[in-house]
Formats: sequence, C-alpha cells, structure tokens
Amino acid sequence: MASSPQKLKSYSKEDRIRSLLGQYGIGLVLVIMMIVIAIMEPRFLTLGNIINVATQISINGLLCYGLCLCITTGGIDLTVGAQLALTSCIIGQTMTNMGWPAFMAILAGVGVATLFGFIDGVLIAKFNMFPFVVTLSMQLVIRGLSQVITGGRAVMLTNAWFTGIYSNKLFGIPMPIIIFIVVTIIMYLMLHWTKFGRYIFAVGGNVNAAIASGVSRFWVIVGVYTISGVLAGLASMIYTSKTGSAQSNIGVGYETDAIAAAVLGGTSFAGGIATIPGCVLGIFIIGLIYNGMNMIGVSSYYQSIVKGLIIIGAVMLDMVMNRNKH
Amino acid sequence: MAENYILECKGISKAFGGTQALKDVQLQVRPGEVHALLGENGAGKSTLMKIVIGLYHQDSGSMVFDGKPYQAKGPVDAIKSGISMIHQELNPEPHLTIADSIFLKREDTNGIFLNKRRQNERTQKILDDFGFPYPATTLIRELKLADVQMVEIIRAVSTNAKMIIMDEPTSSLDEQETQHLFRVIRDLKAKGVAIIYISHRMAEIYEICDTVSVFRDGQYIATAPLKEVTNDDLIAMMVGRRVENLFPKVDCPIGDVVFKAEHLTGTGFEDINFEVHAGEILGLSGLVGSGRSETMRAIFGIDSYTSGKMYLNGKEFTRKNASDSIRQGVCMVNEDRKNFGLCLYRSIRENTSLPSLPERQRGLLLNQAREKKEVEEVSNTLLLKAASIEHNAYSLSGGNQQKVVIAKWIMASPKLLIMDEPTRGVDVGAKAEIYTLMCKFAAQGMAIIMVSSELPEVMGMSDRVLVYHEGHISGEFYRKDIVSGEVTQEVILSAAFGVS
Amino acid sequence: MKKSVIMSVLGTVMAMSLAFAGTALAEEVTYEADVNGDGKIVVGYISKNFTDPFHAPINARAEEYFDQAVADGIIDEWTGLLDGETDANKQIDRAADCISKQCDIVIFLPAEAEASDPALVQMADAGILVIEVNSKSASCDEKAIAYVGSDDVEAGNMLAQWVVDNCPDGGKYIHCNGILGNSAQIQRTEGMHAVMDEHPEFEMVGDFDTKWDGNLAADAASDSMSKYGDELVAIICDNDGMSSAAQKMCNDNGREDIICIGVDGVEVPLQMVQDGSLKATILQDGVGQINGAISIVESLVKGEAFDPAPVIPFVLVTADNVADYIG
Repeated sequence: MASSPQKLKSYSKEDRIRSLLGQYGIGLVLVIMMIVIAIMEPRFLTLGNIINVATQISINGLLCYGLCLCITTGGIDLTVGAQLALTSCIIGQTMTNMGWPAFMAILAGVGVATLFGFIDGVLIAKFNMFPFVVTLSMQLVIRGLSQVITGGRAVMLTNAWFTGIYSNKLFGIPMPIIIFIVVTIIMYLMLHWTKFGRYIFAVGGNVNAAIASGVSRFWVIVGVYTISGVLAGLASMIYTSKTGSAQSNIGVGYETDAIAAAVLGGTSFAGGIATIPGCVLGIFIIGLIYNGMNMIGVSSYYQSIVKGLIIIGAVMLDMVMNRNKH
Repeated sequence: MAENYILECKGISKAFGGTQALKDVQLQVRPGEVHALLGENGAGKSTLMKIVIGLYHQDSGSMVFDGKPYQAKGPVDAIKSGISMIHQELNPEPHLTIADSIFLKREDTNGIFLNKRRQNERTQKILDDFGFPYPATTLIRELKLADVQMVEIIRAVSTNAKMIIMDEPTSSLDEQETQHLFRVIRDLKAKGVAIIYISHRMAEIYEICDTVSVFRDGQYIATAPLKEVTNDDLIAMMVGRRVENLFPKVDCPIGDVVFKAEHLTGTGFEDINFEVHAGEILGLSGLVGSGRSETMRAIFGIDSYTSGKMYLNGKEFTRKNASDSIRQGVCMVNEDRKNFGLCLYRSIRENTSLPSLPERQRGLLLNQAREKKEVEEVSNTLLLKAASIEHNAYSLSGGNQQKVVIAKWIMASPKLLIMDEPTRGVDVGAKAEIYTLMCKFAAQGMAIIMVSSELPEVMGMSDRVLVYHEGHISGEFYRKDIVSGEVTQEVILSAAFGVS
Repeated sequence: MKKSVIMSVLGTVMAMSLAFAGTALAEEVTYEADVNGDGKIVVGYISKNFTDPFHAPINARAEEYFDQAVADGIIDEWTGLLDGETDANKQIDRAADCISKQCDIVIFLPAEAEASDPALVQMADAGILVIEVNSKSASCDEKAIAYVGSDDVEAGNMLAQWVVDNCPDGGKYIHCNGILGNSAQIQRTEGMHAVMDEHPEFEMVGDFDTKWDGNLAADAASDSMSKYGDELVAIICDNDGMSSAAQKMCNDNGREDIICIGVDGVEVPLQMVQDGSLKATILQDGVGQINGAISIVESLVKGEAFDPAPVIPFVLVTADNVADYIG
C-alpha cells in the first residue's frame, strides 16, 4: 500500500481552501480593519466612501505592482517616487507649455518613465549591479532631470480631457478605478498565466536553476524594471490629473507605501514568492489606513505612528496564521 | 538491561500536520559500533535523527543517552551532550574559513573577543591529524564539494563527540575519498565512538557497518547484525517487497549517432572525442574533478569551451546558452539539485514545466489545463510521491525532488539527455525506478549520457562506459565485456587513476 | 595682518548688533562689505531647495541678478545657487563651503528654524555677513545682519479671515498641515488658530498630516466630503499646492461651494484664481523677499545704510488683482 504508486491530482478541495486561507490570510486583516473603522465611523461603509477609497488607491496600486515584480526577482525599485515627478513634469511641459495634444504628452511622459525602467534593468542585469544601488542612484538622476525640465516651477494642467482622467466616470465608475482594474487584470494574467510570469518566479526563486532551465535572466530582469517604469508613468498620469499640477517635488517617499503594500500582500524579499491577489489586498490595506484615519479623525501628529503599527501588526498576524497552517 | 547502549530511543512518534512521520519507533545503538540506518527516503530516518539532535521535538516517546535521560533543546545542546551530526544537505557558510567553520557556535574566545590565531593553530593541528591538505585559513567556498564534506566530518569529530550521526556522508565523495572517510570511521570506532551511518549505498554499508536498523514509512521494521542479513533481505525489508533487479537494464536497439563531440577543449578537459547513439546509455566514469561534469556543462551551455566542434543529428551544434540547447533538444540533469535543479519554494508543477513553457503557450497565455494534465502524466510515469503537484518542491524527499528534475527534462522531450549523478541522494526503490525510466527513454530513441561516481551504477546501466582521467578520456568499455566479467571494477578504476 | 582686520570688523559688527538689539527695527545700519579684506567681494547663496515651486522664482531671480552683478562688476564673484535640499544637514555643509570659498556676504534661506541654525552661526562666527531670507533660524536676531521675510503668523491669520469672511454662517472645516515641525507649518497653523478659535460658529473636524503633498490633501478633501457631505464648508491648507489640489477635488465632485485656501501664490493656484476655479490664495511675495535681500547687498557694496529687517507683506490674491501677480 505504502509504496504502491498513488495517482497525482492537482489540488484537493480541502487543500485548496487551506492554501487560500494561508495565502490570503491578510484578507482577514483587511476585513477586521473594515469592521473596526465601520464601528468607529459608520459613514465609512457608505457606497460613496467605498468608491472614494477605491479611487484613491489607484496611484499606490500601480506603483505596488511594479515593486512587487522587482522584489520577486530579488531586487527593488526605488525610482518610482522620482518617476512620478519626471513623468508629471514631462506631461506638464509638453501639454501646457508646448501645446502638445494630451494623448501625445502622456505617451511622452510614460515613454520616458519606461525608458528609465529599461535602463535600470540593463544596468542590473547586464552589469550585475545591485538593484538597490542602481535604483537609489537613478532616482537622483530622474528627480534632477525633472527639476531641469521645469526649473523647479509648477505647471498647471487645464486640458479638460486630461484632468478628466481622474474625475470622469465610465458607467458610473471613476476612471482611476477602471484603470486600476484593467492593470490588475493584466498583471494577474502576466504573472500567473504567462511564460514570463513563471520566469520571474524562477529567477527570483533560484537564479541558477532558472538559467540551467533555459530562462534568460537578462530579459526577465530588464522586463520587470521596464514594467515598473510603465506603471510608475501611468501612476504619474493619474497623480498629475488629480492635482492638476505638474511639479518636480512630488512623489517623495512614495516607494515606501508601495513596498509596504507588496509586503503585506505576501511578496517575499527572499524572492520567488508573490501573488497579484495578495498585492490587491495589501494595496487596499494601505488605502484603508489613510482613509480610515481621515474618517475617524486621528490627530495628524499620530497618523504616522498608527500607520507603522498597523503594517507591523498586519504582517505579524499574517505570519502567525501561516505558521498554524504548517 | 543486559545490553549497554549509548543511545536508546523508545516509542518515538512525530506528526507534521496530518502526516505521521514517525510511529512508535525505537532505536538502540551500542558504544563503538557503526550502526546503519536503512530505509527509503521518507521512511523517517532523517526525522528521527533530527529529534535526536533536538531540531524537532517528538510528540511522544523518550530517549536515554549515555545512561541518562536525554532531550536536546537544539543542535548546540546536542553537541554539548556529546552528539554531533553531519547533514546530508551540506549547509556550509561559504564565506567562513575552515577554522571558523569548525569552531562555529563554540568559538575560541578570550572572554569577548575571538582569538583567531589560537583558533587557527588548533584547527591546523586537527587538519594535520586528518591529513587534510589545506591551511586552516582557507575559505570554504574555495574548497571542492568533497572537501567541504570532509570539513563537516572533521568538525563533528573535533567536538569530542561520543556519537556521530552521518547522513549520506559519501554522496559527494569519490572512491579514494570514501576510503579515507572509512579509515577515519574505523579510528573513531576504535576510540569507542558510536556512529550512526545513513546511506543508500549497500556496498558501503556492508563494508563499514556492524549493525543495521531498517525503517519503512515511519515505522521501525527490524535491527540485525549485518553479518546475518543479505542484501536482498534488507531491500525487501525496506521496500516491503522484493526488488528483483537493482539494475533493470533493458537492452534496446542502438540507432544512429545523435551527438558527437570532436576535439572538445575547455577548462578542465582537453581534446574530448566521443559519440552517443539513439537508444544508447553512455556512462561517464572517473574521479570527481576529472573533467566529466565540466565537459557536460560546456556541451549544455552553462559553461563555455575554447575549441572543438559538436554535432547533433549530423548537423553542427552550436549554442549561445542553455536555452538555446534546450530548444535544439539537448537537456541536462545537473548534479547539484539544490543550486541548479529546483526552485524549492515553487510548486512541483511550475518546476516541472519550466524548461518547456514555450511549448505550452496558447496565444499570449499559458495553457494551464494542458500543463496540469501533462505534469500529472509525467509525474505519474515517474511514480512521484507527493500529495499534489501544487505542493512546493521543498516538501519532497531527495528522491522525489530528483524525480521532479528528471520530469522537467522529460517534458522538454530531449534528443540528448545528459544526467549528471542521476541518483545522488536517492533511495534504493526510487533508484531502480529511475533506472527503469532511463531504459524506457532510451527505448524511445533518446540518447542518454549518464555521469556517475558510483561504479556499480555505471557498470550496471551503461551500454558503453567512457572513463575520464585528468581531463582526458582514458578508457572505453562495452557492455558485453562488462557482462561477461572481462571488465571488472578494478579495470575501470585503474583507468580512472590513469594506470594502464 | 589679515586676522587683525577680521577681528576689528567682527568687533564692529558685534558692537553694532548689540546696539540694535534694543532699538527700533527701522534703525538703519552700515557694514564694511569686504569682510576678509582680500579686495574681492564674494557673495554666497544657500537656497532652501530647487524643487519647491515657491522657491523656483526666488532662485531664478537671485541667479539672474547675481550673474548680472558679476558681469557688471558690482561684485567680484558669487557661488552660484547652492542646493539646500530642504535639509538642515545639507545647508550646514553648504555653509562650510561658503566659508572655505571666503565669501563676504551670504544670502541664506533656512530650511528649519532650529536645525539649520548652525549654518548661520558658523558663517557669522567666520565673519561672514549673513542675510536670512524667507524664514528665520533660531539665532537670526543675534547672528544675521538682516532678515528679509514675511510673517507666517500673519499669513495664518489671513487664511482664517478669508474663511470667516466668506462663510458667514460658519460650519465644519478641515486643516491640511505641511510637514509637521517645519516653521512655516507651525506659524501658519498658529495664526490660523488665533483667528478661528475666536469664531465658535466654526468647528475643525479634521487636522491632517498631508506633508505639503497635493495628492494627500486631495484625498483628505474627498474623505471629508464623503464623511460630512454638505456640512463641510472650508479647507484651510498650510500651502496653496495643497489648497489648489483640494479645490480641484471639490470642484470635480460638484462642490465648488467649499472654500479652499492656502499660502504661497505659486503658478498653479494663481492660474486657478485667474480662471475662477479657485476663489483666492494668499501670496507670499518670494521675489519681493529676494529683491529686499538684493538691495541690502547693493547697500553693503556701496557702503550705504539699510533697514536690517524689512517686512514683505503677504497679499490676498483674488480675481480682482490676480493679473498683477501672474506670469
């Protein structure tokens, strides 16, 4: 009996439930947070506020996906905050000061962010430089460039089509939510349903084994940093549309929230482990921290402390739950 | 109480989640004996040993060591009590020196500060006693795998242990080094140190061990002096049935030349010429470091070669990297499973399909339904023992991990399959299964090159054997001569040592 | 020889500053411009940062003037714009650079009241004539020869007064802070409270850590709108990068009635005032401040007397006067 071959199945039902619980235990944290906030401030659970939260998370959400991919390959992308500023400045300069059509301006802004992502990837993959060092330095270059472009001045965006990217609705749903959903679906398919996604996991999980299995480390690394660039560019588009202003001092420290969301979502700094549904949960938790504190009315001096403690608590709770699974 | 035991375990049970890893197991070891633990991977030997050194805690049961009730809180505690363990999966810190490694966790200090000089001197003396030809300040990463193993052994011995547990100590050693280890073991035995010896190599067990305890599926089966049991008895106890033939080689028709190397030269090998045919299993023997694996890595494209030509199916074969080779039908099972074989924290399914993903595309996306089906099929063909293909490779035993590595290359349907140490760390039952599979693949027209340090395996499975000596091919032997007994182990060994 | 000159100049400076400590602000002073007696007048300029839109025109004006001044021979050299990176530590380093470049006069825009102060102290102790612009560091009154700036408490008063004047019925309002601990954040908030606390018809329902960030202020606005709906009447922001983003968020949600106001008068809010989407903003005349500092430099070079503490007033910019300040 023991040594007789048993037929292998993919997942039993019980297995699947247990694995979902373990993988998305952070979802429970989210539910608890929602309940606590709703008790303290009943207006939190109005449809209007839920849509409000979903609209607000789009910027951090896009950045988080880029970070998630880079962290999964064992790296990090610290340029995203500066990328926000650069794309914003390019959009502002080309659209307002040079009179380009909005679409062309966005293409230029996102295109430059993509290019910088690509350069990061090449430096890391081709020259074997540490991602931390490369992106830490490139972040300075990118922010410097945005200062050069605008001379430090703010540029106003009046183009109605462009400012509508944040405020317009499609079928009653604000555009940022639609952009976020579309990007989420694309990222989900890319990470979990394509060859490239598998290669990301393989390179992050065991780079030697990946190379020995015919995976090109170079293209995987270049790919994820380029994607992170694209997403930072899109996030910047939303940001610029939201504030109606392009300036070079925005986005400082925005990588922190994006990294926190990715880590809450189960992205492992050891590499090779991440899920997009997990990231979505992480993004919502970070969004709820801000919205919840604003709704409850936590004093401004304590908001930073509360945020840090909630992140630590959430990660700890998730780890405890995962340990019980074993 | 007639017997005097150094270690006595009684009624040990341990469960991991729903899996009962050990069920009411016992073990009795006498001082000064070499006690073999035998059983397939997953039989519970390693779990029991981890309980003994305190890495795990048993759910029930008790232990007596050296006449006193014993329960280790962890490996350091176990070492203090007099038990050292050499692990199967070597876990050396590559950036440490030999001296640092040997004194790890019990550093030689003057109060707070390390006394490096005294530590190095003491280490050097120990190394000299062992005849280990490196200075104590050598970094671990500069050593060969076999030497790292030796350092682990020296570390265990240097703790003045009363009992040493060796988990597959020879898996990365060649013949000469194995013999050296055996001399060390005999010395220890003479000093009254008990050795628990875990190995899958029956010949070694018969050579060095006095007593054997057999485990199967988490249960204790029997203990007996080795003089009183035959090889077949032991295997029957281990697998619960009789394995008819250790090397189930099936001769199949040898076809055209699939792969040919001409004057291949690179780091560690020079002017290598050979060809391998469809349906043929070509065995490569020789000492570790003689250039066998180096040649294979160069062919596959992980390393490079400096000159020479290769041909695949009559056409010149060039490759930029491993991915290029895989596309053209040349695949390689790497000898280093942990570093080059698997992504341990990804699922069996993802590991298995990794090299052949390009064939599983449907438009932009992967056809995961087909992937699942195909991985299930190949896993079942390989008799993979796992709860589900969605489980992490990490959760598998060594033998089953090896099967995943083989499965991933079979999925890539290679023309030439290079297998470097295909049965390293694999138990007897799984070994026979892997051999059967090799014959099956050969019968389908695949050409197989098997690199192995185990002579019986090379002689039992190869249609033809090439022997390496210091980067050159020093001998070629055919199956018919091996079967007829004309070519013996001694003949192949002398070729490997360069004695003509 | 040189040392004794420095000592004597220092002595004069100290005596003079002591003399002025007790006298009225309008009293004029004179100094010897070439403090180190090397026959050259070298001017240093330590900015607060290069990234804030409020500081961009200040920096641009300084660069334009001093480049010309060197070309015209009014001064011999200047350091170019030194980037303070909104970081006291960096400013102290830049101060050391100015000392080693043997600057005679340094224009300094402190990033922090306390933390940036050592930059001033070190330069003053090296004999340099330091003019602080825009905000004061802790020992400005003792160590700097002049301070050209505006009173942020006054700006806070103006913010609150605008809300009081435009929402006669009172109601709920929120406050968006700058980075907590910045002197502008502290003083503007103080000024705001001084007025708002006198008006019990107003209730502050949110005090947000929005870090000078328009994005965070916009989120605070949308959160508060969804919580308080029509009860929310005003959003007071420590700068107008935040108030313009908040106003845009309100307008996008059909709440043009909410009064958003902030301080600075950077390009975007001014344009919003011009096109009517923002009702008003409080302009801090940054270029006016740097011009004040420039005229002090000119007086120093000519050996003329000057006012050591000119106050550049804040200006309430509405549709009526926005044309004077835009462009």
